Amino acid sequence: MPELGRAALLVTLGLSVYALVAGAMAAHLGRRRLARSAQNALVASFATTAVAAAVLLAALLRNDFSFTYVARTTSEALPTAYTISAFWGGQEGSLLLWLLVLTGFGAAAVSLNRGWARDLIVWVVPVLAAVSTFFAFLVVAVASPFATQTAPADGAGMTPSLQNPYMLAHPPLLYFGYVGLTVPFAFAIGALLSGKLDERWLIATRRWTLFAWAALGIGQLLGSHWAYVEVGWGGYYAWDPVENAALMPWLAATAFLHSVMIQEKRGMLRVWNVLLVILAFSLSLFGTFLTRSGVVNSIHSFTQSSIGPWFLAFIALVVAVSLGLLFWRLPQLRSPTKLESPISREAAFLYNNLLLLALCLAILWGVVYPLLSEALRGEAIVLGRSYYDFFLRAFGLPLLLLMGIGPLIAWRRASFRSLATTFRWPTGVALVTGVVLLALGAGSSIPGLVAYTFSAFVITTIVMEFARGTRARKALGAASWPTAFGSLISRNRRRYGGYVVHAAIVMFAIGVAGSSAFDSVADAKLARGDSMRIGDYTLTYSSLDERASANATEIRATLDVRRGDRDLGTLQAGKNAYTIEEQVSNEVGIRSDKLTGEDLFVIAEQINPDGSIQFRVFVKPLVNLIWLAGLVFLVGSLVTLWPDRREQRRLVARASEAGIPATS
Amino acid sequence: MTLALVLAAALAVACVVAVALPFIREPEPESDALDDLDDAERHRLALLEERDRALAALKELEFEHRTGTVSDEDYRAQLGPLRRDVASALQALGRESGEVRPADERN
Amino acid sequence: MARKASPARLVIALSVAAVLAVFLLYTSIAGGGNPSLAPSELAGRTGDVQLAGLVVGPVRGDAHDGGLRFRLKDISGNSKKSVTILYSGSVPDLFKVGRHIVVDGELRKGTFVADPGSMITKCPSKYAPKQSGDSD
Repeated sequence: MPELGRAALLVTLGLSVYALVAGAMAAHLGRRRLARSAQNALVASFATTAVAAAVLLAALLRNDFSFTYVARTTSEALPTAYTISAFWGGQEGSLLLWLLVLTGFGAAAVSLNRGWARDLIVWVVPVLAAVSTFFAFLVVAVASPFATQTAPADGAGMTPSLQNPYMLAHPPLLYFGYVGLTVPFAFAIGALLSGKLDERWLIATRRWTLFAWAALGIGQLLGSHWAYVEVGWGGYYAWDPVENAALMPWLAATAFLHSVMIQEKRGMLRVWNVLLVILAFSLSLFGTFLTRSGVVNSIHSFTQSSIGPWFLAFIALVVAVSLGLLFWRLPQLRSPTKLESPISREAAFLYNNLLLLALCLAILWGVVYPLLSEALRGEAIVLGRSYYDFFLRAFGLPLLLLMGIGPLIAWRRASFRSLATTFRWPTGVALVTGVVLLALGAGSSIPGLVAYTFSAFVITTIVMEFARGTRARKALGAASWPTAFGSLISRNRRRYGGYVVHAAIVMFAIGVAGSSAFDSVADAKLARGDSMRIGDYTLTYSSLDERASANATEIRATLDVRRGDRDLGTLQAGKNAYTIEEQVSNEVGIRSDKLTGEDLFVIAEQINPDGSIQFRVFVKPLVNLIWLAGLVFLVGSLVTLWPDRREQRRLVARASEAGIPATS
Repeated sequence: MTLALVLAAALAVACVVAVALPFIREPEPESDALDDLDDAERHRLALLEERDRALAALKELEFEHRTGTVSDEDYRAQLGPLRRDVASALQALGRESGEVRPADERN
Repeated sequence: MARKASPARLVIALSVAAVLAVFLLYTSIAGGGNPSLAPSELAGRTGDVQLAGLVVGPVRGDAHDGGLRFRLKDISGNSKKSVTILYSGSVPDLFKVGRHIVVDGELRKGTFVADPGSMITKCPSKYAPKQSGDSD
């Protein structure tokens, strides 16, 4: 069957090229049937890519080792779920997944917006097709998943560290995020090409951007959780280039989501928005380039492969063409509305954007610096954790504060009196919180204390907004408080969904501050029966057991945990020794305190032949708020994403008023 | 092996048909011109967006006043200018189309 | 509406200047980063550096008691030279002979003394065709 896969991808490439050429011609010459034909080609390319994907999936599930890819990434003994995840576990398969998601999103984007943005779609088709052409070319000519060989008896198997449920969710979510950013980019470029610089490209892509951004955010959080519980070094983010590869486009997309609101409400920042969406898309391409090309030393690096130069060339092309188009249309993009005051909601959003961008660029600089210094001075110079931490605090803390200021400050110009009235309570609560925490000893980390204080400020503003909004709805005649609350959110989804997301970010900030600024660590070598103390915990190493599982020998030390005079049960920590792969993995023991969100984190670093163990133990306050924040983030994103029929009707009505034909 | 080739051929044919469909369905159309906005329509769309933006700003001011984010004093100060924005947007539209068509903004 | 000139340009310029000031502040306090070298480039270098290479056995000693001793050679396989590493602190699970690792430290009297806990191993990948020096 590999021939079917190869043929299907070849057809995909052909369809993409056709959609690009025919689509561009149709848009330029104004030919309706040709435009429709190009659109059909784009949709058909999803079908053909799906066929290729099905072929690969079937080969994986049948353990068909005549496919080189299958032999390299799976083995007979591999559980089915992980065999499926092997689809995206290697270079070629993950590129095919990218193409599948890209063609799928492309087909959906052009089909769903047919009703009211048809004249815009004709230009979006060739842009989407151009991106598809690149990825289709890669899987056809550079990294084909359908290479064959004489089938070996068994495959090479999957690294044990990848055999966990995270592998099923983390990469696909990240791909939805990365690829999802292609859609707003395509619409923006389509708008530039066609000269139709009205708001419709923004409105059409708002949900796509939100979806991509949410997927990217949750995908990253899952990756962090994976690092925390499975890799188990005691942390959840290492500022590794591949981690940063997903963070940078996410930050740019966050900036874009906010500045889009300013364009919608005030007509400002049009050029800025186009630049941001180009940046976000380019960063997502750059991110995947970093991950795949092996060009940077990273714990994740996939390989030194030949795919790097292709990506670089494509990114360069994308940036050059996009900026050229932007420059060409610059006069038409200039908006008449101006910023009136540096103290206003528009200004607050602008500061938000500048800070997000500054953080994004600081991270980019940190990632690229070793490459630049190697090219210029012959020596790669790496910037460590302290570099990233510094800028995270320098730009992240003001951003945290802005989350509380932006939604409440007046539009156009905020007078000092209005500032005093609006922010009286939040400031008061924040100051009191700061003083109390200082008294409780939080002064040991100034950035941590500042983070907590700013979080208190933001939480107060969010609570105030929900409370006042519900009260206003009740005054308008809602039946009960819960009904008032419900209708408040359902009629103002973007605003209150946004507040929920902000609440999630605040929880995240508190969790990060607690677990990184106020954590403690202790190392001790314990013989059986010995105890160690950390914080107010006492751990006693009571026994060491060995048991066999399907593919590994599991060694576990049992520790009794006490706090003061209370018995908190036992914890197990140890290692797994995988026989076939000849690898050892760390299996950490974590005790999460339900009440305080604190984790007791135990690593059995070294198990000595005499039964004594070198332990490393962390106490991480509030760390579980980080994971809880992920759930709140998901809820908030869903609220903002939820389709709004009223809004949709309004858009269609406006389109028909302008004379845009609605029928196909 | 042959099954794969047959399926591949069928796939290719289906795609060619999909791509050729618009031409097959309408071999001799009345007009092959893309429905597009001419300058007048584009201008009208921009004015409509301006109108909707002004109306939305007014609605938001009302909302924020009701929830207490905006004080009475600030509300009174901002209401006038925003209402003027709406009026001028509607006027511009009226000049454009020869009649004033209020938007359906009932909520 | 206000007729005076928009402060937008000034605001943006000042903000950008503020951001750049933060950058300058950082570089003046913390300086640049550490050079990342291959073992063959290490000879004669002083100061803190990062070493990236392939683990060569035999691996002796105890990382938590006196230090782990092993040798590190170039990943690219061009050079036969290897450097003796003395490492203490946490050893990542993936560490073994033939693994690519990265470790910070400084060269002292012919032995590279690593900063405690600074070792990072690379996840073995299934993306690469076999390279010289690769063991898996």
